Amino acid sequence: MLRYIQRRLLASIPVILGVATLTFALMHLLPGDPAETILAQSGGQAEAIEQLRHQLGLDLPIYAQYWHFLSTAVRGDFGESIWLRRPVSEVLAEQLPATLELAVAAMVLAVLIGLSLGILAALHHDSWIDRAAMAVSVVGVATPIFWSGLLAIYIFAAALRWLPATGQRDLAHLILPAAVLGFGAAGSIARLVRSSMLDVLRQEYITAARGKGLRRSVVLFRHALRNALIPVVTMSGLQFGALLGGTVVTETVFSRQGLGRTLVDAILWKDFPLVQGGVMLIAAIYILVNLLVDISYVFIDPRIRYE
Amino acid sequence: MNSKRAILLAVVLAVVLSLLAACGPTPGPGAGSAVPTAPARGGSITYGLTLIVSGIDPHQGASSELGIFLTSVYDPLVWQTPDGKFVPGLAEEWDVSEDGLVYTFHLREDVKFHDGTPFNAAAVKFSLDRIADPDLQSQKAVYMLGPYDYTEIVDEHTVKVHFKEPYAPFLDSLSQVYLAMVSPTAVEKWGDDYRDHQVGTGPFMIKEYVAKDRIVLVKNPDYNWAPEFMEHQGPAYLDEIRFRFYPDAATRAPALEAGEADVMGEVPPQDVARLQAGGKFALIAVKVPGQSLQIFINTQKFPTDDIRVRQAMLYAVNRPAIVDTIFRGYSPVAWGPLSAVTPYYSSAVEGMYPYDLAKAKQLMADAGFEDTDGDGILEKDGQPADLDFILMEWGSVPEVGQMVQSMLLQIGLNAKTRLLSYPSALQAAGDGEHNLIPMAISASDPDILRTFFDSRNVSGGFNWSKFSDPEVDAWLGEGVRTNDPARRRELYAQVQQTVMEQALIIPIRDYVNLNVASSKVKGLRYSLQGWFPWLYDVYVEE
Repeated sequence: MLRYIQRRLLASIPVILGVATLTFALMHLLPGDPAETILAQSGGQAEAIEQLRHQLGLDLPIYAQYWHFLSTAVRGDFGESIWLRRPVSEVLAEQLPATLELAVAAMVLAVLIGLSLGILAALHHDSWIDRAAMAVSVVGVATPIFWSGLLAIYIFAAALRWLPATGQRDLAHLILPAAVLGFGAAGSIARLVRSSMLDVLRQEYITAARGKGLRRSVVLFRHALRNALIPVVTMSGLQFGALLGGTVVTETVFSRQGLGRTLVDAILWKDFPLVQGGVMLIAAIYILVNLLVDISYVFIDPRIRYE
Repeated sequence: MNSKRAILLAVVLAVVLSLLAACGPTPGPGAGSAVPTAPARGGSITYGLTLIVSGIDPHQGASSELGIFLTSVYDPLVWQTPDGKFVPGLAEEWDVSEDGLVYTFHLREDVKFHDGTPFNAAAVKFSLDRIADPDLQSQKAVYMLGPYDYTEIVDEHTVKVHFKEPYAPFLDSLSQVYLAMVSPTAVEKWGDDYRDHQVGTGPFMIKEYVAKDRIVLVKNPDYNWAPEFMEHQGPAYLDEIRFRFYPDAATRAPALEAGEADVMGEVPPQDVARLQAGGKFALIAVKVPGQSLQIFINTQKFPTDDIRVRQAMLYAVNRPAIVDTIFRGYSPVAWGPLSAVTPYYSSAVEGMYPYDLAKAKQLMADAGFEDTDGDGILEKDGQPADLDFILMEWGSVPEVGQMVQSMLLQIGLNAKTRLLSYPSALQAAGDGEHNLIPMAISASDPDILRTFFDSRNVSGGFNWSKFSDPEVDAWLGEGVRTNDPARRRELYAQVQQTVMEQALIIPIRDYVNLNVASSKVKGLRYSLQGWFPWLYDVYVEE
């Protein structure tokens, strides 16, 4: 098992490297110049702009900048954010918790809602409950966050006044954003749970268990669900990546500070170090989550072993 | 089958979710409301900021938002009164050498920093050197220092600041929070973390800075060196000031109405009339000096390379209509590159290019344009009069752009707008892709004209008219070096007139910061820069 983990971690290095290179290339292809952007605020002269570009190392040839970026990143030094004037690692450490909180909360809600809807649909296969549950899940998958977010704010914050609209002071502020973000993932999970459950419920060992006289709930939760979960766990791991990406729009709609929004602003300001550091961080988190998902199979399914 | 199970599951889910929802606090005024106390001393207010500031070190950061609260934390060496006079601050007197290269300041002897250390010549030298230090990578303060050379400590309360070349805007720079006098002890103690532990000599101290949520200032009980033009001496009236963030313009008026904030900056014009109507709020409209909101016209691209076309555009844009429609009459119409409250503004530009459609059409005809194919767009030598109009998201630029576009269409000019992100727009303008691009930077010294009209800034800088005239360069160069006010007035008047005679820009309006304050807030005034409130004299009265 340990060797498996080691191999996986080793394999993730080229992935992160690829992500870093792609990000670097894209950022430099986009129009705009950080020195110009900063100095436009105070009306700098052309020589001041040149000076700042030199200070930031932006007048070096592109391969020199790339090499500098790689060689320092390998040592864990992502440089200083041009726009925020602080070490990138500090900014990331500061902004990450809020985004993780949002993504995890959304994941929890997505799994709860997805499981409930999926099980409901599977148990009432082909009835109106099944169709209603699947309709809800399709709506979840299809609705863009900026629309469902604004709608949620309008209904729950402005009209009903049950929940606050923006900000992130406490748990109540987390509910709407997490629910809106998780709704989409919930839809995918629900559909998968449903079809996975239907598959499992058809298996012979289920009929055998019922035949033995086991209660419905035991059959359902101890036997059927556990076996149905494997593809769901995989899907959840993949969905987490989508959720991380979705935090960008969610944070903007609900006026929350977090990594997603900071990254968007950093891209707009052409803050190369911050964008590169942030994207690499998100890639690393995503790889880690999927590694955990793969390891969890060992515990869920006794048939799976890693050498 | 057991549908009871299913229903039970659904009910449980619903109950859990609604329990979670009910657990949160109800939205409402909350901690933001001020608790008023009857006498003039004491009490607190909540001030609404419009931008979530990222860098709050005054020597480093560039936004005007940081100046709003830091102006009360630091004292300047010299203050600038709203009518542009320089009066003693931490410096009791000063003089400038004949050649304009050395400023000698005689400092007050009774001033202490918030950490108890004394304010003296060493602190002045430390602060100025810190700004000039390339390692700090100052984004604004260092440019306000200009050709700074070094600071000489003559004795504990006398200091000489040396320049490589004469620099007329220096006193104006000194009067702003970006050249703050910081405590050397505090900077040395905190190093890179100084931004979270700032120490000045001002009437308020930073008690708390919670990054996305609030900034809290508390009264400095030892403060006793207020400048003479303030209404009182000794410590400030208020005990505490809380700053909260309202980046979304639509939330500002509701926050005032709910009592969450007592003062709010940059309130949208359409909300101002409603707020004033009830009698519970007062509008404090502060004119901001610097560039008026103006649209730069590229003199090196067809069709705006012809001065007649540019002048036609100026006659075709109905500025009073724009001011009434978008700014609800709260801004004065702009006639030139500087707003009317900027020092050395020249009123000679007023009345140039009044709205005159007939004249505009005549000029286009004189320039050789006519509508040969009847599609409403003029052509010359087979080329249609298409204009690339770059817009950005700030201010009311998109709305202004729309109105200008339709006005230009009336004289057969087809302005195609494109909305770009800030850096993309800057790059496009730098490359000269545009015919039209708007800009407005606030500044309290007319040297800002050099940024936009000096030929050195045509490539690699912000001279977006791509205008090059050695005479104008000479005027601008002399203007920044001479300390003689009469001469500066003459030079900048010539620059402003030339800009308008050459039709390099379409001026739209002077920026007016619409601050709205609850009627219980008294004594609130703003500095000449238009953004920075003087909170020292503020008190609350029910």
